[in-house]
Amino acid sequence: MSFKTKTRNLRVAQFFLCLLVFAWLMQLMATEAKAQQKISTTIYFDYTYYLSNQGPITNSQGDPNFKNNFFTFRRAYFRYDNKINDHLSFRLTFDGDYVKSVDAQGKKDDKFRPFLKHLYFQLTDIIPASELKAGMIDTITFKLAEDRWGYRSVAKELLDNFKDVTGKDIDAYSADAGISLTGKIIRQLRYGLMLANGAGYAHPEGDKYKKLMGQIQVIPLAGISIVGYTDYEKQGPGAKALTYKADFYLEAIKNLILGAEYFVYRNDLNITSTGQRFDRSGYSIFGRYVLLPDKLNAFARLDRYEPNSLSPQDETYLTIAGLDWALLTSNLKLQPNIWFYHYTDPNKKNDVVFNLTFFMSF
Amino acid sequence: MEKQTKNKNLKNRAAQFWKTGLLLLLTAIILTVPLPAQKRMIQIKGSDTLVNLVQVLAEEYMAKNPGAAIAVLGGGSGTGITALINGTCDLADHSREWKQKELDLAYEKGVKPRIFAIAIDALSIVVNEKNPIDILTMAQVGSIFRGEIKNWKVLGGADQKISLYGRQSNSGTYAFLQEHVLNNKNYSPEVKEMNGNAQIIEAVTQDLSGIGYVGVGYLYDENGNVRRGIKVLKIKKDENAPAFSPLDKEAVYSAKYAISRPLYQSTNGKPSGLAADFIRFELSPEGQAIVEKEGFFKIGQELMEQNLKNLK
Repeated sequence: MSFKTKTRNLRVAQFFLCLLVFAWLMQLMATEAKAQQKISTTIYFDYTYYLSNQGPITNSQGDPNFKNNFFTFRRAYFRYDNKINDHLSFRLTFDGDYVKSVDAQGKKDDKFRPFLKHLYFQLTDIIPASELKAGMIDTITFKLAEDRWGYRSVAKELLDNFKDVTGKDIDAYSADAGISLTGKIIRQLRYGLMLANGAGYAHPEGDKYKKLMGQIQVIPLAGISIVGYTDYEKQGPGAKALTYKADFYLEAIKNLILGAEYFVYRNDLNITSTGQRFDRSGYSIFGRYVLLPDKLNAFARLDRYEPNSLSPQDETYLTIAGLDWALLTSNLKLQPNIWFYHYTDPNKKNDVVFNLTFFMSF
Repeated sequence: MEKQTKNKNLKNRAAQFWKTGLLLLLTAIILTVPLPAQKRMIQIKGSDTLVNLVQVLAEEYMAKNPGAAIAVLGGGSGTGITALINGTCDLADHSREWKQKELDLAYEKGVKPRIFAIAIDALSIVVNEKNPIDILTMAQVGSIFRGEIKNWKVLGGADQKISLYGRQSNSGTYAFLQEHVLNNKNYSPEVKEMNGNAQIIEAVTQDLSGIGYVGVGYLYDENGNVRRGIKVLKIKKDENAPAFSPLDKEAVYSAKYAISRPLYQSTNGKPSGLAADFIRFELSPEGQAIVEKEGFFKIGQELMEQNLKNLK
């Protein structure tokens, strides 16, 4: 058999395998077409007031239109969940954010626009105690930390947040197109694996390389977790990007959750003019305390971000503290919080920002 | 000079804003949040099957213990267990046992569930009172809710398509029936998912070809009589076994009625304070008398001993 024939046969086999998987999924859907469906919405917006006007964020820099206080819609999620049966479910999430647009006539605006955040199916227990997701899915990069921090409405998790602050310093996305498998080996040992584009939900695949993510969570004692995470993506010939992350969570004390994260992002393309590679890193220590269940919580967090391991005095320290107060119902919350930025660069003054975050879910 | 003045003004304005805002916020929080010192309060969430019973128990307890406040909410067994894991309730009501996934999550989050059986329920299969069918086997009930038997004619009834009424998957009753009667197979996609037991009763009352499943406590009206408009079916363990009704106390206590189950409450760790006191009341002869009055069944000696052990 010639090489050409072998290749063709392999392709035919691949095609039929895909067809079989597709037919199986269609059959699952067809026989269980009616299912539990749920539509939900989560919205958060802020009233922001700059308490200082000297730092790089809060300084007007001579801009006559500079705003010292303003309202901002930060996020609006519209979610549709469809549980077909105990083993198969679908999720569709539209997110909303200010997205710049230019039409054919060159007219610009940055309206609050919807975009796709999730579109996936989830198979439960395809192997015992596991969840398989495929489509536009949550990445496993910081899901555990984000859940422990618990205040996505106030601030994104460490990597996610500094990725935004710095533009695109770190390749870390909350969702991406790909496939993931998470589950339990034994009660004390959980795992997560994911293969994705590596471009995040905001972009289509931009290169031919895929991102591979892996995670191990060890729970030596009830309420204590240690998590090790790494991801890898080839960046081009002879270049790769790697993220290493270690987390620790303490949930064993009633009403208190404490967490810590540390990461290093290493990309062979991050080089100085002299050809030396530099890394980015950061840590976050956070905690939240239930003062009154369902009514009042307090939270605080300290982040340190190092954008260049070779450059001195470029670190940013961010301290966030606030309250989470359920006004009349847990669907409507007020979360007053203060962000205090401190820069090791002596030329940069501190920024102090007050946010009154409104959290709504229904 | 001008810049300095401007900076000073900004600083003053910020300080003023901060002070006023903080004062307003603290005032509002103090006004709306009940402080723990003012009241002894616990929150109970979970099973819809248990919600009415626990509400009555809580009212009775609060009448005897002024100053104690117990809030009881439904939402389903899954909702209650999740709330206990997330620390948003003190007691979780549930009409099924904890799933392995929930136990794993509890372990991850440092929650150590202590489980108390507070009543026994005879899960009841109800049809419209005009339906000629009186008895079904467990296998037939399973086949009906899996959607394998679609017409009453197959069972000796009228030539009518069967209308199925059930609960949502966060319900313990949904999970219990699925595990014990449907042999862990999926429910028919035709099942209309109702929010609670009362809605199922209401739907079956209105629908001549309807069938549903409810906790035994929901079969009775306020006078203690079986609600009008429904018929409570007798159930046979298999084709050759005798049929028993969930209304037959003796059959339930002797486990002859095939689909009975304990109804539970869980706490995170050993209960203390008001939560422990309330559980003791529920397990007391007085509490168990309320359980029976509400149509459910008292717990037996073995479960009671286990409960008392868990309280220690």
